[in-house]
Amino acid sequence: MKLVTTVILTLLLLTVESVAVKYLGFSVSRIDVTIAIVAFLSLRANMVEGAFSSFAVGYLLDLMSGRPTGLYTFLAVFTFLIGRLAASLVEVRSALLFVIFTMAADLGHGLLAVFFSWLTSRDAAFGSTLSALPMQVALTGTAALCLYPLFRKIDSGGERAEVGLLR
Amino acid sequence: MLSFLKRYRELIIVAALLLYPFASFLTRGHLGRDPNLVDRAVLWITSPLQKALIWTFDGIGAAWNGYVALRGVQAENGALREENRRLRAEANELAEVRAQNERLKRMLAYTESTPGQQIPARVLGVNPVATLLSLRIDRGEDDGIRRGMPVVTPDGVVGQVQRATGQYADVVLVTDANSKLAVKVQRSRVRATACGKGDNKALQLENALRTEDLQEGDQVVTSGTDGVFPPGLAVGKITSLHRRNYGMVQTAEIAPAVDMTKLEEVLVIRTAAPLGTTIIPQARRGAGQTP
Repeated sequence: MKLVTTVILTLLLLTVESVAVKYLGFSVSRIDVTIAIVAFLSLRANMVEGAFSSFAVGYLLDLMSGRPTGLYTFLAVFTFLIGRLAASLVEVRSALLFVIFTMAADLGHGLLAVFFSWLTSRDAAFGSTLSALPMQVALTGTAALCLYPLFRKIDSGGERAEVGLLR
Repeated sequence: MLSFLKRYRELIIVAALLLYPFASFLTRGHLGRDPNLVDRAVLWITSPLQKALIWTFDGIGAAWNGYVALRGVQAENGALREENRRLRAEANELAEVRAQNERLKRMLAYTESTPGQQIPARVLGVNPVATLLSLRIDRGEDDGIRRGMPVVTPDGVVGQVQRATGQYADVVLVTDANSKLAVKVQRSRVRATACGKGDNKALQLENALRTEDLQEGDQVVTSGTDGVFPPGLAVGKITSLHRRNYGMVQTAEIAPAVDMTKLEEVLVIRTAAPLGTTIIPQARRGAGQTP
């Protein structure tokens, strides 16, 4: 996906999510639509383009959080790099595998977010965030399943030729 | 040098993209930052989108209440269908108008009964990050809203403006894990600190001496000593006490007076000078300070 497309898609999805969460009344759980995008980028984009796009996605998530700290920008690029590493080992070419891949990325992203937040704010209670993580991962997986055809349509022809080492 | 840069260009770019935000988070992350030009541009784009989506959802909801829900009745009631539909639609509409009217009347009564100027605002959306509980409202700098202003409803305290741009502002909820406010128990006048637990369901009462008089069911209100929230605003009710046989302090759990998951309208209290903040900078939280 091109950088501009990624930015527009991220903006749209974050806006929809923000309003949806308001209506659905989730108190802590969220749908990590940005992780679905980063996971897709790590499967399809080349290194520099993907890193730039992930940076942009993370920056937008940071900005929409209301208190940008840089954490989510860093985590998006980090998740992209780890995702790329994982994508060199496993072949992800179906919707189901993409969902599993995204859920794993979201789990790692969520744990790292809690860890780094805890690191700078030790007495804050993150138990509730951690306990809501399984629901968040499940919701993100569902979102990934719905978004996968859209991502493929937007990025038609962008599939990498090389396959993973594990099939 | 040039050949080195050329050779490792890709690696350098990726490393910069990874390390710049990380360094920014470690050094300045706990302080937050005021929105720059790019931030403002992005918020300028997304906020009207949120507004449009809310209008759409509201429209769909109204259509559902006014028409779709009546289709079942239509099938069942034959000749009375038209009249039934009209009456039900009117009833729904009136109920919605009445509920809105009640809310607005309460807000107006509250506004008239409290000193200072309140700016009514509508909640547009919730932020997409689970580790920070905040929401966006449809009033901003253009309406006189500034960072640090307290946000309330007639039921009680909601939070504090964390960031304001042209026509929108982000409000960090008192239930957020980084939020602390100075409170007192209405009955016994005991002063303490209410801290967010990060789950939107409860606050933690801290810094109350073990010998102080606290009871389950006690109403907790703002004390005003933090210089942010005016005194006397409802914060919540003590639901459980945790008092050990040792130590200097006791803690308690507070059920918030305001249901943060169902907020639709709020009031921003306009203060003369931009206020301090009760959202404690993360790096300093370990010091156990009180507002």
